[in-house]
Amino acid sequence: MTTRSWRGMIEGIALAGGAIALVVVVVLVGLAMLGHAPTAVLATWFAGAAGSGVRLAMSVQEAGPLLLTGLAAAVAFRCGVWNIGAEGQFLLGAVAMVGFGTVLLPPGPGWLILPCVLLLSASVGASWALLATGLERWRGVPVVLSTILLNFIAVAVVGMLVQGPLHDVSTSAPQTALIAEHLRLPVLIDGSRLHVGVVIAVVLAFVLWIAWRRTTVGFEVQVVGLNPQAARLAGMPVAARQIAIMGLSGGLAGLAGALQVAGVTGMLSGAPVSYGYAGIAVAMLGRLHPLGIIAAALFMGMLSTGARHLERRLAIPHDLGDVVQGLVVLAVLVGAGIAARRALRPQAEGA
Amino acid sequence: MNEMLVVLLIAQAVTAAVPLMLAGLGELCAQRAGVLNVGIEGFMLTGCIAGFLGAALSGQAFIGLAVAVSAAAVLAALFAWVTVIMRTDQMVAGMAINLLAVGGSGTAWLIAQSNGFAELPADAGFFRSAVPSVAPLTQAWLRDLPLIGPLFFDQYVLAPLTVVAAIAAWWMLRSTRTGLIIHALGDAPDACAAAGIAVQRWRFAMIMVAGGMAGAAGAYLSIMRTHGFSPMMTGGSGFVVLALVIFARWRVLGLAAACLGFGFIDALQSHLQSRGLNQVVPYQLFQALPFIVALLALALMRRGTTGPRTLGQTWPAER
Repeated sequence: MTTRSWRGMIEGIALAGGAIALVVVVVLVGLAMLGHAPTAVLATWFAGAAGSGVRLAMSVQEAGPLLLTGLAAAVAFRCGVWNIGAEGQFLLGAVAMVGFGTVLLPPGPGWLILPCVLLLSASVGASWALLATGLERWRGVPVVLSTILLNFIAVAVVGMLVQGPLHDVSTSAPQTALIAEHLRLPVLIDGSRLHVGVVIAVVLAFVLWIAWRRTTVGFEVQVVGLNPQAARLAGMPVAARQIAIMGLSGGLAGLAGALQVAGVTGMLSGAPVSYGYAGIAVAMLGRLHPLGIIAAALFMGMLSTGARHLERRLAIPHDLGDVVQGLVVLAVLVGAGIAARRALRPQAEGA
Repeated sequence: MNEMLVVLLIAQAVTAAVPLMLAGLGELCAQRAGVLNVGIEGFMLTGCIAGFLGAALSGQAFIGLAVAVSAAAVLAALFAWVTVIMRTDQMVAGMAINLLAVGGSGTAWLIAQSNGFAELPADAGFFRSAVPSVAPLTQAWLRDLPLIGPLFFDQYVLAPLTVVAAIAAWWMLRSTRTGLIIHALGDAPDACAAAGIAVQRWRFAMIMVAGGMAGAAGAYLSIMRTHGFSPMMTGGSGFVVLALVIFARWRVLGLAAACLGFGFIDALQSHLQSRGLNQVVPYQLFQALPFIVALLALALMRRGTTGPRTLGQTWPAER
């Protein structure tokens, strides 16, 4: 799965671009049959996603959490750890941030407290992920299953907190109070809520890229993912790496939730989010490569802001964005499979 | 608790267990054949919306059921093509199918709503009766029979069919050549291929079966139990089924027991909620209960018997 060389990168871009183009054509044909002119749909979508500076800023803002949950999925998948629980870990990180920002309110100046609180919230997400690892180590529960089940438990836990200890007493609506002003992230572009958190996410993507390419641990983690048996025979601490990666993965998802609260919403309500599940799509579209994931997150962010614009203007349900996401992942998977087999063929003949 | 209440609870447990069992039987066959079908949630959701639309547009509940099964089977064919023929990762493809189903059902639901199909016509759903085409009241005497009435006749039509399907699957997996092949597909696909069995074709078929069964379970939810559709109405029950199949150690009888036990917990909690327990305990706890129970069941279960040896692996392995 590693796309290290330039050729690999170009192949990855061609693959993702081809998958997106194919799916867009399919969806446009479908919409044309329902009576929507393809050109109008594309133009409206683009106007919504990147038609103006503010619109583009909104798309980038939307890409922020997707980038982090995408990285969360990618670090885990690359290590062969099937963490599908970014959804729950995101929620736990978000609710921890709200807890720190409304009820606990640690004393001190914002520039010092905010990073600490963000880290603590991320570690709450990490603990939720490590719960799944613990169940696997001690009780043999497959991580794939436990992380999915924990997502639904997280929704209930957060719901209980939002309507319980964290509930905003001034309203009957199921929502928390706004977090303290000094714990909010600075906004970069007026008129949007594009915040510093997105920059943090991009920096983290580059850090991970370098860690994968240039550090021993990064190398080991990938070997563990590609062939755990070989890793074990080479004396690599397989279990320790897998546990650490699960923590990192959950931490990234938790950080995504915390940043979303500190940067955008300022509180939590009962409204459902799905950045966690979408993160899996982002990771696959980005071919599990940090730079690819930046691009994939931007595309998915534009997809969702554009889809909401389409709903307002042309009454096309924005759920169609999810359809595009799902189809793009399937197309990328199939395309990658074909490409890998084609790459193998000449070698097999030569042998 | 008096006797009447126990019977009532058990009858409700059966009502709640039917969709789990239906989807579970398909999932069990697919997993026995080596396919970890994570897309089951999406197949169920597809069954919900397709069943609803089929019944709402045609006015016929049975057409809704048929549409639900076919739509989920078509989506399952896509999943099977991607994972079995194109040999991609089952887990990721399954999650993509789930995304697709959430988006597709949501889109279809909004389009249906804006065209005036937000509710099922009163007579287009199924009623609790043994013979659905006969008006329910004429069979009232059957339902009034002590014990047998509520357990067998105060259920939706899919309940007896599920029992039949479970017995058939149990017998098929245990004593037929087909059952042997399905077991072998999951345990030793290479040996199957050597014996002249078309592994990919069989696995493809098993996924279609799993999809169709999950679609029927979805139709049960939308046109029988709730008589309507709401976005994401499966709410994770597909994933619960996934857990139950593994908890049951891939055995039909174990699955039946697990589904009934699960149904009983469901019936008990809604009874306790109606008795005012929700005043004391937050309702979210009840919401999370199925998932907590499933997780605990998996964690506390006796280990030992291993599942299908190649579960979740693509075949033939590359490189």
